[in-house]
Amino acid sequence: MAAVSASAPGVPEVPASEIARRRTFRNRWYRTPSFVVGATIVILLILAAIAAPLITRYDPNGQDLLHAYSHPSGAHWLGTDQLGRDVFTRLVFAGRSDLLIGFVAVLCPFCLGTLLGSLAGFYGGFVDTIVMRLVDVVVAFPFLVLVIALVFVLGPGAESIIIAITAVGWVSYARIVRGEILVQKRLDYVLAARAAGLSDARIIGRHLLPNVITQAVVFSMSDIVLSILAIVTLGYLGLGLPPPTADWGSMASDGESLITTQWQLTTFPGLAVVLTGLGLSLLGDGLADLLAPE
Amino acid sequence: MDRLAYVLRRLAQLVPVVFGVTFVTFLLVHLLPGDPAVSVLGVHATPQLVAQLHHKWGLDRSLPEQYWLFLERVAHGNLGDSLLYRVPVRSLVVDRAPVTLLLLLYSTVLAVIIAIPLALIAARRKDGTADQVVRAIPVVGLGMPAFWVGLMLITLLAADVVKWFPVGGYGNGFTGHLDSMFLPALTVAIGTAPLLIRSLRASLLSVLESDYITTARAKGLPERRVLLRHALRNAIMPMITVLGINLGFLIGATVVIEKVFALPGVGALIFDGILQRDFEVVQGVTLLLAGLVVLVNIVIDVSYSLLDPRVRYD
Amino acid sequence: MTPRTRRPALLALVCGALLAALTIGPSASARTTAHATSAAGTPVHGGDLIIARTQDSTSMDATSVFDNESIWVFEQIMEPLYTVTADGKSVKPWLATGYTLSPDKKTYTFQLRKGVLFHNGKEMTSADVVFSINAARTTKDGWGYIDTAIKSVTAKGKYQVVIKTKFPWAPLLADIALFSNAIVPNNYGGKTKAQFYTAPVGTGPFKWDHWTHGKELKLDRFGKYWQAGKPYLNSVTWTNVPDDNTRELQLKGGQAQVDEFPGWSQVAPLKATSGITMTLFPSTRTDYVLFNEHIKPLQDVHVRRAISYAIDRKALVKAILFGNGTPANSFMPPQVPYYNPKSPGLQYDMTKAKAEMAKSSVPKGFKLTFEAIGGQLDSETIAQVVQAAVKPLGITVNIIKKDANAAQADWSAARYPGMTTSYWTMDIADPDELVSFSVDPSQGAHSFQTWYNNPVAIKAARAAERAFEPAKRQALYNTVQSVAAQDAFMGFLYYSPFRYAYTSKLQGFQVYPTGNYHLEDAWLQK
Repeated sequence: MAAVSASAPGVPEVPASEIARRRTFRNRWYRTPSFVVGATIVILLILAAIAAPLITRYDPNGQDLLHAYSHPSGAHWLGTDQLGRDVFTRLVFAGRSDLLIGFVAVLCPFCLGTLLGSLAGFYGGFVDTIVMRLVDVVVAFPFLVLVIALVFVLGPGAESIIIAITAVGWVSYARIVRGEILVQKRLDYVLAARAAGLSDARIIGRHLLPNVITQAVVFSMSDIVLSILAIVTLGYLGLGLPPPTADWGSMASDGESLITTQWQLTTFPGLAVVLTGLGLSLLGDGLADLLAPE
Repeated sequence: MDRLAYVLRRLAQLVPVVFGVTFVTFLLVHLLPGDPAVSVLGVHATPQLVAQLHHKWGLDRSLPEQYWLFLERVAHGNLGDSLLYRVPVRSLVVDRAPVTLLLLLYSTVLAVIIAIPLALIAARRKDGTADQVVRAIPVVGLGMPAFWVGLMLITLLAADVVKWFPVGGYGNGFTGHLDSMFLPALTVAIGTAPLLIRSLRASLLSVLESDYITTARAKGLPERRVLLRHALRNAIMPMITVLGINLGFLIGATVVIEKVFALPGVGALIFDGILQRDFEVVQGVTLLLAGLVVLVNIVIDVSYSLLDPRVRYD
Repeated sequence: MTPRTRRPALLALVCGALLAALTIGPSASARTTAHATSAAGTPVHGGDLIIARTQDSTSMDATSVFDNESIWVFEQIMEPLYTVTADGKSVKPWLATGYTLSPDKKTYTFQLRKGVLFHNGKEMTSADVVFSINAARTTKDGWGYIDTAIKSVTAKGKYQVVIKTKFPWAPLLADIALFSNAIVPNNYGGKTKAQFYTAPVGTGPFKWDHWTHGKELKLDRFGKYWQAGKPYLNSVTWTNVPDDNTRELQLKGGQAQVDEFPGWSQVAPLKATSGITMTLFPSTRTDYVLFNEHIKPLQDVHVRRAISYAIDRKALVKAILFGNGTPANSFMPPQVPYYNPKSPGLQYDMTKAKAEMAKSSVPKGFKLTFEAIGGQLDSETIAQVVQAAVKPLGITVNIIKKDANAAQADWSAARYPGMTTSYWTMDIADPDELVSFSVDPSQGAHSFQTWYNNPVAIKAARAAERAFEPAKRQALYNTVQSVAAQDAFMGFLYYSPFRYAYTSKLQGFQVYPTGNYHLEDAWLQK
């Protein structure tokens, strides 16, 4: 959040309210339960994903057809799937794919939406109209339909999923950032910067954005949940990652038809998604609380 | 006068947006790898039979020509004939629209019923245990895959533990519909309620700090009255905006619900249409849905401005 | 209080009880069995049957529709002159009572059954038959091709129809028995073809009621059906329930009486559920992996044999079918006439696999792409099993996944990039359709889109079409099967049954190896 700039005399630095905000963040974060719990869960998940080979015993793609569909036991804590692969191992490795894709699938819309939203909010007029009409068109589409169609066109795979989610997801960030900029651009420090002759890019990039980005970051927390859910849903509909890569969505959907007999195949990936969603949402709520102006 | 101009302007914006949607849909649908002829012929898809069907459907014409024909038809109110089912797209939609509309309406009602009391409790006891609990539990609902929730609900409430509801299907007669649709609507509501709760709680908190609330309390009005008649009424609009924004998302989400609960709705129609490359269905239905979403958002915007005179028409 | 006197009495009581149990027990169960048979034996009229299936029908146009969910419905409405027998191996008279064949084997004279009524009350005559078959064979974007051997169809009096073929054609009766050649009223009763098929009229046991797309399709009992006394059911309704679990729960809850295609994992638990009959009907379904011979080195027979030897079919049956199937030894299924149980289809043998690789043009291995069909767990599972199975041979498999339509389009243009999965179920009770589809690259399907080309197989297949003596046809089809097996032009995986779960009250429900069922024989116990 450090965006102080003293590159031109007479240009006020970061507004006092922002400084006050950051100070309270440092003081308060450990006293906000949702932030603490959320951050803990998320950090643990990330660590588990990174340390996957260390905490699991099997090869995630190692088949053992003779022991397919075995129930949870000492040898296989969560049982085995239709090809005899250890479910626990696949669950942890799936965390890698899903968390990574979920994160990237939010980073891209975040960047694209922030860019377009800033331009629309800052310049207004024609630029604004174009961007907002684009927003309208995207929003009018049934979301899943657009994503599914794009994934079909681009062919199933991680890249296509990311591109599809980006094409649909940039809209929220654009709106948020545009809204914030519309408010902020009338404030003193911006007017002063303009009067001082700073270039538009600099004003947007170094002055406006840092103050405007918090809302977008808070939103992105819940957006990661939504994009992981979208990937899970795509898996249910048969459009997940190509086999044999483990991902929670395909695992849950592969096991879906077996829910009455092999409930563990769907339940554990489902719980993993819920846990991830819980952590991220709590983190997002905590951040929102901490960063909200007093 | 301002307001009228605003409404007219928004309605006028409908046209380019819907046009944009049809263009993008047409493009996407024809970029899809695959072939509707293959959906009809299956393993009998020999080149000769495929060519026959392409000719019958006019798919051997150039793309611009096909788009022009599509626009011409739409201008006359004709949404085309489904390639797969050989009946007008319009009749397929008419058969299925009530199902999806009921699902959306029913789930919205349930979500609001869940959201309002919980948001009120959370706002009243900000940062207290109740608040933390209310904010955490629905988040769990947000993270659960819809098909999983649906199947759990069926197993728990319709099949194994108790048999209070039918297992999927649409039912007959109005009470039959309400009965059959309760579980699917609840499944959707579990996913949307968290967003509503969050939004309502936030706006309640800011409303509760405002002057007229302090005045009302100072006047000695009972707390319940303050909450329900004053705070809630003023806080509710952002939540409704959230509903509107999510409409496009919801319509897509109904696909999974309709599959799990065997509901003959529009979500399943359009999804199957994409899977089977039934161009006419996808184009026609997307056009309708897009028009619907845009209209609903205009209505929400306008009612927002009606209820809150401070909103500017920029 | 006299224990000693009690003991003998007690003993006598116990012996008596044991004796009674031993005598009454068996006869009691015999009585129950006898009771059950008689209860099952006499059909009763009445009842409405609800069949929950995986997806909706597309259209009732029998001449141009290829999906089973449509076919199995309109077969209850419209009927052909001959029909497939219950074992799937031949045909029997249905709307015709018999036929005579000219010595040059090119002229068939069919005798029509008298007194058969359409749903509109009119009697079926030769004019209707001539119209129907001519309409079917001129449907270029549909099943017309199956009637290509027919030269002309004419009426001879009110109850006779003459069909002339261009050349002697052994499969003609089987072709006539195909549902596309079903008999409809002359000139569609004055309607256009499209109009007619929105509410088709036929001679079948059930007549049209209504179809709410996506929700349900309902047919009602036809009281004047030509088989007196049948059908027993008042109505049949097909509903659409895509999710396996939901279908099963609807069956258990009584919302539906028939669950079409329960998941394989549900077969065993359903068998153990009281009140439900879980039946695996012998079917003609065969699953394969295909080798695209345009893609090097798959044109090398040793490479194909090596891969085929490396696949553990028994493990596949266990993993995918939960044991409810058998490894395949021929591209023809056992339920088809002229199937050879001794056909030498390659089975799992890693030693032989390695030996074949050593003999091949790429002994060190190569890279291969397998196109799996997204949304179908079977296809993805097979791809992954093959991937692991051929690794020891030095073959690195890369799996790409496409949705069903894109994969199917790739297949129909033979541009799948190496291997893919596919399957077949018979439409007619004659191997000809499958055989020419599979081994003849000059036919539309280009040897099942593998472009497999072995002149020996092609010659035998063509000869078998024109041969009428069963022994001669058997010898020719044996040749085709053994050449095809040795060339391993496809990996024949497994044969699987048609699985249906239904209420035990449903009797007389039988699914034929071609997948269809005759609902005029079905009835519900009270």
